[in-house]
Amino acid sequence: MIDYSKKRFLVVDDFSEFRTSVTGMLRLMAVKQVDAAARGEDAIAMCRNTRYDVILHDYNLGAGKNGQQVLEELHHAGLISPHCIFVMCTAESSQAMVMSALECEPDAYLTKPFNRASLQQRLDKLVERKLALKPILDAQVKNDQQAVLAACDQVMAANKRFAPQCLRHKAGALKALGKHAELEALLNELIADRPLPWALIMLGNHWLAIGELDKAESLFTSSISQFPMLPALFDGLAAVHAARGASAKAQEYLEQGLRISPNSLQRQHELGRLARANGDYDKAIRAFRQAVDLGRNSQFRNPDDHLGLASSLNEQAGDEAPSPKALLEIRQTLGDLGKAWKDDPKVTIRGNLVHASAVAKTGDQAAADKLVAEASVRMADLPNFFTAQIALEVAAQMQHLGHADKAESVLATCAEMYGDDARIMEAIASQTSNPEILNAGLQAQTLNREGIKAYQQQQFPQALDLFRQARDLQPRNISFALNTAQSVLRLLLAEPSADLKDECLQCLAQVSNIPATDSRYPRYEKLCKTVAGL
Amino acid sequence: MSDEQQKQQSDPEAPGGLDFSTVIASTVHDMKNSLGLLMQAYERWSSALPPELSETAERGMIEYESMRLNGMLVQMLGLYKLGVNQLPMRPNWLEVEDFLQEQLARHDEILRSRHIEGSYEVEEDGLMAFLDTELVGSVVGNVINNSIRYARSAIQLKAWVADSQLVIAISDDGQGYPPSMIENQSEYVLGINMSTGSTGLGLYFGQRIAELHHRDEVKGHIELRNDGPLGGGEFRIYLP
Repeated sequence: MIDYSKKRFLVVDDFSEFRTSVTGMLRLMAVKQVDAAARGEDAIAMCRNTRYDVILHDYNLGAGKNGQQVLEELHHAGLISPHCIFVMCTAESSQAMVMSALECEPDAYLTKPFNRASLQQRLDKLVERKLALKPILDAQVKNDQQAVLAACDQVMAANKRFAPQCLRHKAGALKALGKHAELEALLNELIADRPLPWALIMLGNHWLAIGELDKAESLFTSSISQFPMLPALFDGLAAVHAARGASAKAQEYLEQGLRISPNSLQRQHELGRLARANGDYDKAIRAFRQAVDLGRNSQFRNPDDHLGLASSLNEQAGDEAPSPKALLEIRQTLGDLGKAWKDDPKVTIRGNLVHASAVAKTGDQAAADKLVAEASVRMADLPNFFTAQIALEVAAQMQHLGHADKAESVLATCAEMYGDDARIMEAIASQTSNPEILNAGLQAQTLNREGIKAYQQQQFPQALDLFRQARDLQPRNISFALNTAQSVLRLLLAEPSADLKDECLQCLAQVSNIPATDSRYPRYEKLCKTVAGL
Repeated sequence: MSDEQQKQQSDPEAPGGLDFSTVIASTVHDMKNSLGLLMQAYERWSSALPPELSETAERGMIEYESMRLNGMLVQMLGLYKLGVNQLPMRPNWLEVEDFLQEQLARHDEILRSRHIEGSYEVEEDGLMAFLDTELVGSVVGNVINNSIRYARSAIQLKAWVADSQLVIAISDDGQGYPPSMIENQSEYVLGINMSTGSTGLGLYFGQRIAELHHRDEVKGHIELRNDGPLGGGEFRIYLP
């Protein structure tokens, strides 16, 4: 018999009848603490104050967030521990399952109506399972992936009933640790035995991430014929085509995924982005509108959706002025953007520029210039710079608005920070032919390459010297700073030195604005962690 | 009637036209919700009554029929989604014992109020299986509902592995299936003979769900028998 008297429960359902009835069932199971909420927003607020052991959440709450959205927000905000049992209650589980995301699934689905015996049977099993998996979950709480792996093997060896859950946690840990070969071997073994949906999706995404596009495509395609209702497979196929540059095909697959599961913010966001790039402004506008809507009151709201909507409305009109109706929507969207992200000057700058472009086309050059001037002032005060992609977009907008000098200055900074990436230099070259910008980094890049060679030959002091020279020439470059920091750290580990530690911290502070999406971000994080541990 | 009118009448996608299966699907969905609320209200109401008023034959009847109604609605929605190729299949590894316990728990009150003993047996301790709980659960649930009607005192769920297929059998101590049904089961399964109404439809649904579970070239199937371990009818679902 499981003792429920000390477990804290939260019941979330929009019908008070249901809340009362479930609370009654729980009382019969000796549960003492039961809180109840009618809306997902309330549930999230309550989870801020109380750590619940079990959450019984209705999927379809009518207006407001659905159960899946609440679960994702709880995860994102770190308000739910891996030890917590989250049960999704639905009148029809298949619909809720279609919506669930691979990374964020409830522990169980419970189909309504259910009786006390069913509830108790299910909870007994879940409590027992969480208890058996405790070593794994403890390691997850500490974010110690190596320990997760060890715990998975240990729990599986002790009780093979829990092998399915252990294998899934194991795959997650292998992925987090970047152990590609082992992850691939595990997933291949699993799907060779049975077509396990999560393993199929994970393997496809893995192949996608390492650039094995053909393998990923054939896996996603064959999986779709078997599981036509899994939107993640369509997302994967869309990503394969996008990576190949076949953006029209990519858009088609995303739309198929959206037909199955339209309420996904991320998916609408992607569709908006792709459709806009494809010049399919009608679809882009519709998708961004949905994304803006879905993001309201959500932690996943993204300024790119507002900007994408306003830009698409603007671009739809071509060189003409947008219609009065479109103009109104542009103004409203950018107004919302300004309010919601008023503390983010980068977002404001981008909003200013979209607005300026729309206004300029109506013939009001003075208003456009004023907006550009505002943006320039903000840009001068930026504590850190844009990502390469956004910098390129901002430069193009400046250029288009007739401010070539400002465009060049953005490109120059972009070249300094990201210029060691040939693809970015190529994109910069498509916007300017100014040799000062295009060649400014050559000397530093040569030094950096020589530094890498020395480092590979384990000549760390020489490497450090070369990286330092590169960094002196281009202090804002992310690669040079990271390389310097890493070489310094090498020496530091051999012999502690306060000066070297300072230098290392400085290098890292210099690039602290590195976007989390940058491929160098994990390396940056690792360096920060290592130096902090000294 | 002009060609244009003709087209409008026969084309379900035409504006203003009605695609009847979509109507059914969305209505069934609402009916299920409505039934759920009805049952909750009923439960609250009956639990407030003194035992001499609540422990009546009508109570068992209301509970049983609402369960059946729910099962039929689930089945109807399932058949609709099968028809439009939108039935989500999400198989997973699970412990067979858990699955059987879950099925019995769903019928706990009805079994008790009808004094029917529900039991289960898994041949091998810790037996794991790969199946879609939701779909197979709805088939097994409907079979149990049906058995409750005919069982005298006992229903048994049993699971074992034969020829590397999982077999789940639901048997009772009633009088068994009519011989004609056993003889013609292949027709029900193919959806040819629907003369027995919901039972025939249930067999068709069960077969389709079983077939969704396949491995290599082997497809799942169902089988009806009358030599069950409790003396009555036995329904088997084979899942490779």
